[in-house]
Formats: sequence, C-alpha cells, structure tokens
Amino acid sequence: MANSNLPRRIIKETQRLLSEPAPGISASPSEDNMRYFNVMILGPTQSPYEGGVFKLELFLPEEYPMAAPKVRFLTKIYHPNIDKLGRICLDILKDKWSPALQIRTVLLSIQALLSAPNPDDPLSENIAKHWKTNEAEAVETAKEWTRLYASGA
Amino acid sequence: MGVSWSNNNRRRRRRNTYFHPHPHPPHLPPPYYYPPPLLPPPPQGYFITSTNPSASTSTTTSYVGPPPQYYPNGYTANSVMLHQQPLYANEGGSEIHASPPPYIDHQTTKKIRNDVNLHKHTLRLYVDTNNPDHHLISFDFDALYDGSITIFYLAKEEEKCRFIPLFPDMFEPITFPFQKGAGQKFCQPSGTGIDLGFFELDDLSRPSPGEDVFPLVICAETNSSVLGASPHMQITQAVLEKSNSIGPFQVKVVRQILWIDDVRYELRELYGIGSSETPDFDDNDLGKECVICMTELKDTAVLPCRHMCMCSECAKALRFQSNKCPICRQPIEELIEIKINNGNQ
Repeated sequence: MANSNLPRRIIKETQRLLSEPAPGISASPSEDNMRYFNVMILGPTQSPYEGGVFKLELFLPEEYPMAAPKVRFLTKIYHPNIDKLGRICLDILKDKWSPALQIRTVLLSIQALLSAPNPDDPLSENIAKHWKTNEAEAVETAKEWTRLYASGA
Repeated sequence: MGVSWSNNNRRRRRRNTYFHPHPHPPHLPPPYYYPPPLLPPPPQGYFITSTNPSASTSTTTSYVGPPPQYYPNGYTANSVMLHQQPLYANEGGSEIHASPPPYIDHQTTKKIRNDVNLHKHTLRLYVDTNNPDHHLISFDFDALYDGSITIFYLAKEEEKCRFIPLFPDMFEPITFPFQKGAGQKFCQPSGTGIDLGFFELDDLSRPSPGEDVFPLVICAETNSSVLGASPHMQITQAVLEKSNSIGPFQVKVVRQILWIDDVRYELRELYGIGSSETPDFDDNDLGKECVICMTELKDTAVLPCRHMCMCSECAKALRFQSNKCPICRQPIEELIEIKINNGNQ
C-alpha cells in the first residue's frame, strides 16, 4: 500500500491513539495498510453492552479528513442504530462530518451511541420498533447478544 | 447523535487572499476589526491561486493600497481588520474559472493600531461606599497616548460616533483625563457616580431595539502626538444586569467600536487563537495547529463565526469540499488569513 504517502495528520493521529488511548477504546493500524484500523470498544457501563468487547473496522478514505472515516461493527450487536452488517447510523459519519473531527472523536461518539441508543433515528427498523414498544425486553435482548457475541472470548 | 446547527442556506461564497503563515501567534487573543457593511458586491467567477499549491511558501500576499500610517511597527493591540475594498492582486498566480465556489471575493487584512484599549472583561460597576445610592465603574486599560475617558448612561449613538445621553438630567456625561501607559486601572472617583434607582431594570439590561442606545457607554479617546491628527476613540457599549432583579449589577459588554480616521470599526474576537484557549471538544491541544492537517499553524479564520482554525492551504482545500466551518458547521461566508506579527514590537 501507499503507506509512504501517508499524510502527517494520519501519522499524528495514529501516534496519539497509541500513546494516549481513550478509556475503553483501542485502535491500532493494520501493518500492511496504515489507513485500516482494528478497533475495540468496551461496552459502556450502565448500558446493555456492559461487559462486552466490540470489534470494529475503521478505514480512512483517500479524501480523509475531508471525508469521514468508514466505520463498521464486526461484532454482532443488538442496537437500533446499527444494522446486521454492522453499519452505523451516526450523523457525524455522514452529513455532519467535519474535518475537525478525528478518529478519536468518531470512536468516542460511537461509544456514546452505545450508551444512548436512539430508536427515533433507526437503521434497524425491527430493533428500533422493539425498542420503542418494549424497551425492557429490547434491552434484555441486547444484553443477551452482548453475552453471546461480545464476550471477548 | 450529534447536534444540528441551523443552516440558513445560502448566501454568497467568497474567497480571500492568503498570506504566509507566521510561526509566532500571540499569547493574547487578538481582536480583529472590520467596518460594517461597506463591502461591495463580490465579483464573480475567478479567484487568486498560488502557482504551486503544495508549497506553503508560495501563497499570495497582497497588501495593496492602504496608506503607510496603517502599518506602524509597534502596533499594540494585535488588531487586524479587513480591508474595505476587495483586492484583486494576482501575484504570479493564474486565474481559474472555478466551478465549486460560485461567488468569489478577495479579502485581505490590514492592521490598524488601536491607541487605547479598554479591557472589556475588567469592566465593573460597584457601589460608592461613601455614597451608597450611587454606582461607580472601574476597568483596566492601555493607552499609547494621553487622552480622556467619558462615561455616558443611556446614550444614543449619533453620526460620526458621537454619543448623546437620553436623560442628561439624571447623569451628565463625565470626563476624566488619563496619561499614556499600559496596564492602567481606572477607578471612577467617589462622588461622581450615578444613582441607577431612577431607571427601570429592563431599560438597563438591554440596548434599545435599534441597538443605538446602550445603558452604559464608555468612550476612551486619545490625542496622538502628531499635530492635526484626528483623535482615536474606542467606545465600549455595555448593559447592566441583575440576576433575578436582586444583588449587585453585572456589567456585560455588548460591543466595542473603534473610531479611527473617520472610519467606524466594530471589534470582534477570534476564537481559537492564542495559548490561553481552553481545550477544544477534543482533549488534544488544538491551540496552534490547523485542525485539518494538524501540522501547520493556524492562520485563517472563518467568517461570520470567527473560528480561527485552519492553515491557509487547508482552507483552500476545504473550499472545494464544503462551505461549512469545521468547528461549528455554520456556512462560510469569508475566509480571512491573518498574518500575525508580534516579532518586532
């Protein structure tokens, strides 16, 4: 890959992510492609995802930071704003992207999304419906999925 | 997730001229000045570009036109203002008929010297202990020349930055001389204060609807040593508030105006400049680096939101991608590059 042409911003962000990781978040670049990051986010406490370790992939497109990073959950998760392919409904990854945002802020936002599911802006209609009609049951399902798929084993 | 900002699409886009980044931003947030609505309609369809966009050393600099007295070596207030007219200098650059920005305007900055500066965050109103019904004011200020301070209450702004009290019977404007010097403290002498009990709190807590009458107006004026030079004035307009209609008055400065050589400038601060900035939404030290490349020093501010957040190269690149400020997502109307020179004071 063209790692030799990596912008200094990406190098700096990577260094800072590695030297000062955000709590509950780790991100490390792939050896053969410095624009591809393996990400782990711990399920936030007080959320249905507590205790879970969620793997994600993050890719910085050529236009980054003028374009948003592409991020996807690899670990199965029951969340109204995340679909079964792991795609995430988050405004800053789409039209609200700003080049002042960074890998770190994106991952913090995703972590916050786990703490605050938003069924009013759903990506998974079924899960969102579940959340709105019977939140307690939906939360139980999310906990169950966390145990099943995100136990970190 | 996230916050939505209002997006009143869409006014015109403009482009400005860029200068070299300077390696030494000042420690204090420099204000900039601009004359209010004097800008002529922007020209369409072309802009300045440097011959080699990848090299930061090739940006175009065009200090065109302004008379030499605008460039004293020792200007003090780190003040920068927009030139009144757009300038179309093209230094070795090529004109490009650009498609992304439809309307383009070159805006260059020039410096003006502010001979007297009232530090607006130091302005206080307090009770005269010898005269408990009356209030006095105090503030810190710097002055390059001798001059005077005049205090008005409920004063209307007239043409040419003159101020007329609406109720001269309640409080005749009062003037105090000062001598030149930096870091001075002004304390209004006991016995010269105002009894604010005559006024409705509502009248004191806001400007008039047309924003031409302010409850408190302080006019600081200097007389330059140059014979025949017109005086420089800095006018501070403030409101007086009480929380829940009780307790002491809080002074809130709404606006500062400069009146220099018969031109009126409003003083605004830039956000994101200087070392005293609090950390941004991210914990990283975003004090000096361009938020986009995180490499070059910031030297370009976005108007009208006043976020100083980019280097000139990234600002140029951004304009082809987006018309929103990277910090607040408000539409960008203009970009101004600010060459900060605090080296040879």
